[in-house]
Amino acid sequence: MSNNKSKESAFTNNPIVRAIGTQKIVVIIVLLVLFGFFCIMSPAFRNYSTILSIFDYSYYITFMAIGVTFALITGGVDLSIGTGMICYGLIGGYLITQKGMPVVVGIIVTILVAMLIGTLNGVLVAILNLPPFIATLGTMMLVRGLGSIITGGISITWPPAGSEQGWFRSIFKISIGEGKFPIGFIWVILIVVIMSLILNKSKIGRYIIAIGSNKEATRLSGVNVIKYHMIAYIISGFFTGLAAVAYAATFQAVAPGTGAGLELDAIGGAIIGGTSMTGGSGSIVGTLLGVFIMSMLKTGLPFIGLQANWQQIITGLILIGAVFMDVMKKKKKA
Amino acid sequence: MRKKLVSTLLSVTLVAAMLVGCGSKAETTAETAAPATETAEAADTTEAAAETETAAPAATGDMKFEIVSKGFQHQYWQAVLKGAQNKADELGVTINFVGPNSESDIADQVQMLNNAINAKPAAIGLAALDTSACLDAIQTAKDSSIPIIGFDSGVPDAPEGAVLANCATDNYAAGELAAENTYAAIKDTIAKASAPVRIGVLGQDATAESIINRGLGFIDKMGELIKADGKTVTVEGNDKYVNDSKCEKTSGADVVIEVLVPAQVTSELSSIDCQTLLNKADTIAVYGSNQHSGEAMVTANENLNKFGTGEGKVVGVAFDSGAVIKAAVKDGTFLGAITQAPVAMGEALVQSLYDAASGNSVADVDTGCQWYTADTMDSEEIAQNLYD
Amino acid sequence: MGEVILTMKGIDKSFPGVHALDHVDLEVKKGEVHALMGENGAGKSTLMKVLTGIYSKDEGTIIYEGREVEFSNPREAQAQGIIIVHQELNMMNDLTVAQNIFIGREPMKGHLIDDAKMNEEAKKLFERLNIEIDPTESMGNLTVGKQQMCEIAKAISHEAKVIVFDEPSAALTESEIEELFKIIRDLREKEMGIVYISHRMDEIKVITDRVTVMRDGGYVGTLITKDCTKDDIINMMVGRVIYEDPKTESAVPKDAPVVLKVENLNAGKLVRDISFELHKGEILGFSGLMGAGRTETARALFGADAKESGDIYINGKKVEINNPEDAVANGIGYLSEDRKRYGIVVDKTVAENSTMATLKDFMKGPFINKKKEREVAQKYVDSLKTKTPSVDQLVVNLSGGNQQKVVIAKWLVKNCDILIFDEPTRGIDVGAKSEIYHLMNQLVAEGKSIIMISSEMTEILRMSDRIIVMCEGKQTGEIRIEEATQEIVMQAATLRN
Repeated sequence: MSNNKSKESAFTNNPIVRAIGTQKIVVIIVLLVLFGFFCIMSPAFRNYSTILSIFDYSYYITFMAIGVTFALITGGVDLSIGTGMICYGLIGGYLITQKGMPVVVGIIVTILVAMLIGTLNGVLVAILNLPPFIATLGTMMLVRGLGSIITGGISITWPPAGSEQGWFRSIFKISIGEGKFPIGFIWVILIVVIMSLILNKSKIGRYIIAIGSNKEATRLSGVNVIKYHMIAYIISGFFTGLAAVAYAATFQAVAPGTGAGLELDAIGGAIIGGTSMTGGSGSIVGTLLGVFIMSMLKTGLPFIGLQANWQQIITGLILIGAVFMDVMKKKKKA
Repeated sequence: MRKKLVSTLLSVTLVAAMLVGCGSKAETTAETAAPATETAEAADTTEAAAETETAAPAATGDMKFEIVSKGFQHQYWQAVLKGAQNKADELGVTINFVGPNSESDIADQVQMLNNAINAKPAAIGLAALDTSACLDAIQTAKDSSIPIIGFDSGVPDAPEGAVLANCATDNYAAGELAAENTYAAIKDTIAKASAPVRIGVLGQDATAESIINRGLGFIDKMGELIKADGKTVTVEGNDKYVNDSKCEKTSGADVVIEVLVPAQVTSELSSIDCQTLLNKADTIAVYGSNQHSGEAMVTANENLNKFGTGEGKVVGVAFDSGAVIKAAVKDGTFLGAITQAPVAMGEALVQSLYDAASGNSVADVDTGCQWYTADTMDSEEIAQNLYD
Repeated sequence: MGEVILTMKGIDKSFPGVHALDHVDLEVKKGEVHALMGENGAGKSTLMKVLTGIYSKDEGTIIYEGREVEFSNPREAQAQGIIIVHQELNMMNDLTVAQNIFIGREPMKGHLIDDAKMNEEAKKLFERLNIEIDPTESMGNLTVGKQQMCEIAKAISHEAKVIVFDEPSAALTESEIEELFKIIRDLREKEMGIVYISHRMDEIKVITDRVTVMRDGGYVGTLITKDCTKDDIINMMVGRVIYEDPKTESAVPKDAPVVLKVENLNAGKLVRDISFELHKGEILGFSGLMGAGRTETARALFGADAKESGDIYINGKKVEINNPEDAVANGIGYLSEDRKRYGIVVDKTVAENSTMATLKDFMKGPFINKKKEREVAQKYVDSLKTKTPSVDQLVVNLSGGNQQKVVIAKWLVKNCDILIFDEPTRGIDVGAKSEIYHLMNQLVAEGKSIIMISSEMTEILRMSDRIIVMCEGKQTGEIRIEEATQEIVMQAATLRN
């Protein structure tokens, strides 16, 4: 146990590295290396429009990943976010395009339904004590069907950019003259700051970490663990709702029956960013960095001519590497 | 504590209520997803379906058809269903129209086909996602003497005699039609080009015959037209398309046709594929062979703004319709698109099923396709086949 | 002693099939330390759980500060000033020390937690307790002893009026216990009511004012500590005199063969150049303070942690032990100090735990021979006198002493010749402790050899044939039992250089 301590390298003992966290430093380095690599390998990658696209495609995964980070920190998981995002996007879009409701109502309903399903997950996990994997696998299937049923099975196209109702798309990207600006990133940064504060500085975050670390001990400390355990899943739901809005803003068309597998991108991003699968630790900044590694790979690899299947192999390898780092960290502690 | 329990119970009830409420609506027609083009129409369909179900046995015996489609996430299928339902009402038969959640769910579709066979219908309509995965089930149907009529992409390479006929868009011909119209717009560019130019083809997958044929029809015809004008052409990218196309693979050709297929059918990955093409300086045209690919082209174009006509622009050609693609055609982003005739397809399918079940002879029906542009899309002949 | 602060009267509680508490009384006064004693399953923990609302009582009244109360959860009890320092460590390893101490009542600055103030407060607490712990350290990085001190600090930091110490000294060294007693006396000065649950008779005599004894869920009586003898208390608890006689000389013949020889074992800072021999039929005690490296030595020897260098000989033959599997194959069994974490699988049955290390001997083709498994498990339940309704009982439902017996059974089934007992009686009450001692003596008499790590001086002196003393990872003494006294051992244990 302590022999590892004495063997710790100068790198991990560096105060800056310690403050930011070893894994995050590694992730930042990987991110920069990837970016540099793609820039050198492909002139087209250096285009501003490519950067814009990386941002565009990252928003919805980022939101899902921030939300699911909370579920992961409790030692659980939320598998319902992928199909859930599509479901909420369908419901909101349905109200707008088929029922003639204002976009703002559609967005609010989207987020409310998402939080409702988050609450359902919370009830299943925190009150009924179902294993999170099973409980959210159930809701994952449930919402997959729900979206199709409510919209009558058709795909929904949210209002296009130019239209009167299309203003919501400029939440994430505004056009000034010919130029386009990814202002969504400002919101992402803002949300990351707020959620980092909530995770590290508020009671909600503190108790969610405590639950993931030792639920029984937290309960015996007089903390209302049911409440905070549920809040973790409601946060996950809330961010899935935001993700649905971001998805609609980016892709416009939402097709029922899709979305399965996207939750794994989000969970993968969180884990690459250093969130532990066994709960008790995680960071929002790490999650953001992890998601960007995934987005960078997805966007960058086609540019250097690698066919689709290679992207998945490389993403898989990076994920395994990240989990390995987590395991090593745990081993050092033990 | 107690208060909290009440509130959580309340939310559970709410969710349950939503489910129940929606569930009753779902009962109208399909199993996995309730299809309805528009709410108003959905109500009509419900009544109609209810009527036929009670009236049918008296009129035409117990004639019931199972129709296994590719899913409902594109409105295209709603139009097919509409045609099929119209015909069924007219003939006084019952149809059960089902489809998997997404076009990646090959296994789910096979399961649905098996269920359809077990229901012992008078005949089965099938649009196979993956023909080879369905072969066993098709053989079972043949052994049980249930006639199968293919539709949409049909059921190519099925055992001799198992599939009596296909009611389908000739996808290969549709691809050729797309190529002819695309070529007309880029002919001059190719003729004048001093360096090699590139034409992109976006395929949603390399498994569904309809998607593959639309791609191959486009590639083969394009190659033919280019060669006829004295230029050389080659194909690269996805192996399936490269190997199956009739174009010779040469290096240093004047025109490169590049085919991209995503690892997984998501909007993001298809958009990225299209972006990759648009970012290549030598790309002069991109063809997306179904609604999914067409929509991905629109998303990819958001930041790049490359599609259009004129100097330095890339010609965009899509397939099928939907609000996004229609808007892109209308505003000139896309040169045009190919539409099938889904309503006619649904009608032809039920007619063929009826004929086959009644012991009459059936033959393949080409349900046709049309090229539409901003100018022609409002004409009645075309508009009836376009959907949001 | 002041006025009565807490009275529990006629408390009755039944679980399906068990009458856990049979009209038990307990009275605690301000400024008294009140010992609560009883054997395994006597109902002490259940009584405390009723007090703090984890269980609801069937009958009886609880009067606290002059009014009748019934708490519905520990949080309510805590808010009213009744705090338990738990026997099992209840820590969130991923949080810092200060975060652990203040969980549930973080100082706030607006909507955010004021970590700086929290660390400050924690620091003050530790200063008061005269212990050195960095409040910003992760709890998981502390030793068990330090964690226990944090647990106590946490309880003290509440505005407590009644503090229940549930075996606080189990994981502490002698000197740490002294610190603890100082703290407890200080709390007594401050007119707090203290309930002290412990199995160490010596401590009861030193620190407590009154003793309430329970037996089999029933109330036996309350005594004034200074007016009674140890034997009085023990007789009330079990009705018989129990301890094994202390060893005055080793029964191991001088020429007994060496079964285990360790040469220059190195593994990290806490295991430096450890060399010793273990003879057949011997109990070799390992003594030292917390963090002396005894457990680390055992773990390195057992292959649980990687070693840097060192040779191990079994029966004169050099062996390679790189992982626990190798150790077990060489006939070494290890009983961890932390049973819950390493020793047993709590939600498996007694039978399943008993055969955990030897499952392949119980296979019938691809299936486990349940019948044989149960028979063997039953044999050891009988011979070790494990108190369990049946071998199908889940281990989680057994008391600490009986859980320990299940772990012993596991290694006996494996027929290990060398057994490492790491704190074998930690968290185990007097009666069960005696049985474990008896069992250990019986095992060596049968020709097995035992390495016993213990922080309890009396246990070391009572059981060992020979004592190895460690301090800060080094071997600082080897003492034969004939020469051993508490002073000599302590001197070696503090031999720093």
